[in-house]
Parts: sequence; C-alpha cells; structure tokens
Amino acid sequence: MNSNAKELQITTPTDTTIVLTRSFNAQSRLVWAAMFTPDKMRRWMLPPPGWTLTTCECDAVVAGALALAWKSDEADPAMTLRGVFTEVVPHERIVHTETMALGSGQVIGSVLERHEFAEQGGATLLRITQTYASKEARDGAIASGMDQGMEACYRQLDAVLAG
Amino acid sequence: MVLDRSPRLDRVFHALAHPARRAIIRQLSGGERNLSELASPLKMTFPAATKHVRVLEAARLVRRRVAGREHLCRLEAAPLKEATLWTEQFRRHWEAQFQALDSLLEEMKSKE
Repeated sequence: MNSNAKELQITTPTDTTIVLTRSFNAQSRLVWAAMFTPDKMRRWMLPPPGWTLTTCECDAVVAGALALAWKSDEADPAMTLRGVFTEVVPHERIVHTETMALGSGQVIGSVLERHEFAEQGGATLLRITQTYASKEARDGAIASGMDQGMEACYRQLDAVLAG
Repeated sequence: MVLDRSPRLDRVFHALAHPARRAIIRQLSGGERNLSELASPLKMTFPAATKHVRVLEAARLVRRRVAGREHLCRLEAAPLKEATLWTEQFRRHWEAQFQALDSLLEEMKSKE
C-alpha cells in the first residue's frame, strides 16, 4: 500500500492533549478550504450514528464563529458545537475554541483545537493538537469517538459495497 | 454498542490515570513482585501501595495472591489490550473523516 506515508498518527504527548497528524495529497490552501468552508465541511464531517448535521457555520477569521448543530430522531438539536477562532494565519495555522453541549444546553466539554499546515511538494501535512481541560476530559473525548468510529467504518463499508 | 460506556474500561482508564499505578504496572511487566518490592522504589508506605494495587485489582490489571506472609502481584494483560482497542476506534473515526476529505480534495483539484 502506498498510503503509509499519509497514514494517520495519533499521539498523546501530555495527559491533556491529543495530537493527530495526517498528510493530504493537495496544496494547503485546498485542505484549508475543505476544512473551514461550510458546504465542504458537510462533506467530510461524519455525524454520530443516526444523527444529521443541521447547522454548519464557520467564519475562519480572528474572532469569527464556528457553530455546528446536529439533530437526532429524539432531539433537535441533539448536540451543538460552538467556538471562536483565536488565531488565523491563512493556509498555515488556525486555532479555535470549541464547546460541545447537549440539546438541553448542558455542556459536555471544551477543547482548544490548533491546526498546523505544512505544504511540501504539492502535499500537505496537517497536525491537529487538541488540548482538554483535564485528563478525564481528554479520555472521555477518545471514548466518545468510539461510537462514531464504528459508524464511520460501517458507512465506508456501505459505500464500498454500493460501488 | 457493546464496548461503549463499559464500566470495566472506565476502571482500566481510572487505574491508568495515576502515575504511581503506571509505575507499578511497569514494575510488574518485569514479573511477579511482592507489595514491599512495589512500594519501595515509589518511596511509598505499605498502605499507600496497597491502596494503588487495589485500584489495579478492581480494573483487573493486577492479580494478587497470598503466599505465606507475602502478597505477590502479577500483571494481567487482557484489559490493557482492550484499552488499546478503544484508542483504535478513535483513530478509525478520524481516518474515516480524513478519507472523506481525501475524496473531496481530489474533486476540488479536478475542478481547478
């Protein structure tokens, strides 16, 4: 497989951080556009099982807002994500806060998310550093990814089978 | 979802959250140790070491047996494997999203 070079690496350098690195076969401006333009974000942000992304707003400038909301069969919204961009160097570096809450308004957790883009030879190495308030919050975030991970796998499988 | 909200996995991660307990696991990876052997390099009292070993026992990371006056501890590897699987699912979730991003980027490149 030639995908080894771009394989996702996940590390936990401290008790409160998760670092994800992944290479993309595109220039950084394209990766940036795909990650921070609402109509494109809708294409790759896989929602939790049975959920639909209803709101997707992203204004990637300093003090600009990030607002996402999902609905489920039981609740609309079932979950919201709100954040503010605190540092923006186009196509290079972007930092935003992020607070997840249930539809009831109960806050689940907050994270500071830093994205760094390094372009080389037409490809882009993306490094995402997530900083949580505590080790428990960090571990909880990994746990919540598990449901979604399973669902994402099934979807990928569905797509392969349908194709 | 079988693995989600697993109280057992919660205990494993609670157990691994303390540096003294991670140190005990490192020691036990070298083989069976008694409680005083575990306590001394950590500069810990016997009751304090016992308390940490109990947390590790509750998570089934450590098994303790009594041989005469000695309490011998050994490592149980299975829950650690489960903890590894747990992070693997997190990885898959992100990888699935990034693969969707790969497809989107190919489409964006072809439109330029």
